[in-house]
Amino acid sequence: VLPPAAAELAPADQIRSLNRLSDPALSELGLEEFLTELLIRVQEVLAVDTVAILLYDQETNELVARAAKGIEEEVEQGVRIPVGRGFAGRIAAERVAIFIADVDHADIMNPILREKGIQSLLGIPLIVEGALIGVLHVGSLKPRTFGPRDLAVLQVAAARAAPGIERARLYAALEQEHSVAMMLQRSLLPQQVVNVAGVTASARYMPATYEVGGDWYDFFELPGGRFGMAIGDVVGHGLKAAALMGQLRTALHSYALEDHSPAQTLQLVDRYMRSMPESSMATAAYVVLDPDSGLIRLASAGHLPGLIVGGESTRVLELPSSPPLGAFPYASWTDHEAWLSGEETLLLYTDGLVERPGTPLMESIGRLQSVTAHASSAEEACELAVEQMLPFARLRDDIAIVAMHYGTVPDELDLKLPAEPPVLAEVRRVLRRWLHRHGIPEQDGREIVLAVSEICANAVEHAYSPTSAHFELTARHPDDHVEVIVRDQGSWRSPRGQNRGRGLTVVQAAMDDVEITPSDSGTQVVMRRRVQK
Amino acid sequence: VSLGDVQTSLHDSVVVARLTGEIDMSNAAGIEEAIALSTPNRALAVIVDVSALDYLDSAGIQLLYQLREQLQVRGQSLRLVITSDSPAGDALRLAGVLDQLDTSPTLEQALEESPGGAAE
Repeated sequence: VLPPAAAELAPADQIRSLNRLSDPALSELGLEEFLTELLIRVQEVLAVDTVAILLYDQETNELVARAAKGIEEEVEQGVRIPVGRGFAGRIAAERVAIFIADVDHADIMNPILREKGIQSLLGIPLIVEGALIGVLHVGSLKPRTFGPRDLAVLQVAAARAAPGIERARLYAALEQEHSVAMMLQRSLLPQQVVNVAGVTASARYMPATYEVGGDWYDFFELPGGRFGMAIGDVVGHGLKAAALMGQLRTALHSYALEDHSPAQTLQLVDRYMRSMPESSMATAAYVVLDPDSGLIRLASAGHLPGLIVGGESTRVLELPSSPPLGAFPYASWTDHEAWLSGEETLLLYTDGLVERPGTPLMESIGRLQSVTAHASSAEEACELAVEQMLPFARLRDDIAIVAMHYGTVPDELDLKLPAEPPVLAEVRRVLRRWLHRHGIPEQDGREIVLAVSEICANAVEHAYSPTSAHFELTARHPDDHVEVIVRDQGSWRSPRGQNRGRGLTVVQAAMDDVEITPSDSGTQVVMRRRVQK
Repeated sequence: VSLGDVQTSLHDSVVVARLTGEIDMSNAAGIEEAIALSTPNRALAVIVDVSALDYLDSAGIQLLYQLREQLQVRGQSLRLVITSDSPAGDALRLAGVLDQLDTSPTLEQALEESPGGAAE
């Protein structure tokens, strides 16, 4: 006898309820939620005590309990049934519905069914396009004869549910690949913003909605205080493209550290790509900035043009067309030069940011140029690009954006610095930029940098405390000379030994005028040198 | 990125150490150790090529003096490859030590002028 709730349901209503299972929206719930929804509806419609779904695992040729109502233990314990054995195993092997009126006298492999006190069982195979994907079965605690109508309802449920399960399953597999690829992407892309003598970098990476891609960016310091920035886009999508991206990014970074020019660096990455067993293609651009002068050298392998924004006039760095990496055996690339003025930002990006169906590419790039025109930092340029350029719809392609901002050097330097040896290199970088900005001739500049670094080294060496000591540096350029003052909190020690003695000799030889004023609170060194106007 | 770097190679009985980047008090000791470690006992001379350095100061000069002292104990000589218009040239000139060290303008000449070099 059917319970009242189910008895009141006309067959048409039952079918309608089950039809909702084929709603495509359900597949986006994810497999767990989808199966739970399915079991609730089957339990209601057939008024049964237990419902279970086992999915077919092709690799082991087993059924794995995946979702259950009334016999949740089955899933919790991860019950696995070999195809061909027991109740569910036979359904899977023979691909037929099986009805068991009396569990006590049947070949039941799963002990949970017996322990639960289930009396009667009905199960059917789940088949999509001829392939077995699992078994769905229902059970009753009271002896019950499942009739043809119950079977029909269950079959409708199976027919409606099976494609949904398959979709959800594929989606879950894709999700997993997506998250693996995302992890790969995240682990490879630098998160930290670099700040080298007024140069700051910022970046964004956004995966496509359904698939990860092969976009990358990179920024790093180079020998001699220069600064490298790269962007690239491997043709293709998915885990494979992401993995290749990782290799190319590493290759470019490694060659760049060997101090090759941008064009040579691309040439070496191209050679590396073509040495790989599987052929592949990528576009890339690599830029080196000399912070002293603002000179940028860049080479592009079929990549979209960079933009210079944030200054008085924005511009598109359009280069002669060039082949992508990995495509042609005798391809070569050329170095190009451009200049950044103070407060300008160089922006590189991948096609996902600007490619829109129905919009000419250069129009899109022009739009990017105008929305980032007034960016006052690398971070702001990235922010504006994302805010203004991203479509409201799902991302069809992944997007990488990387920007570097070339800060202005102030008229007068006024720095407070930690008294630690690594700071000396930073002092020299900042000072070189400052001297360059004031048009100090190279030889004068080099000798001033040498003298100032020697005095700063002295301040570091004689820092009065081992923790958190600081020193101050100011630099001015009045009229025809450069004046640098270094104040520390240590007490001046007259040079001991050959080494420091040589240091002071260097300072006195390099500068026209050196005054050392020791006091109780520290030492002040004032250095002046006449320079050519 | 490391501030300065050293690459050593052996030419017959001469060790050639080519310095790049910048050398100051933060890395001088490490550079000196690297050169000493790459110098086998059987070497007759060490050539330190400072012509490509972007920066050298008194800490680097001290490195060269200490290295020369160490080598002298083993009867090995030290010669520098240095060009007058280079940053390392500035430092040695301003410190007034150019005439106290053996120098050559090119690596080829340094090899010719070193005991156990290519010319011998």
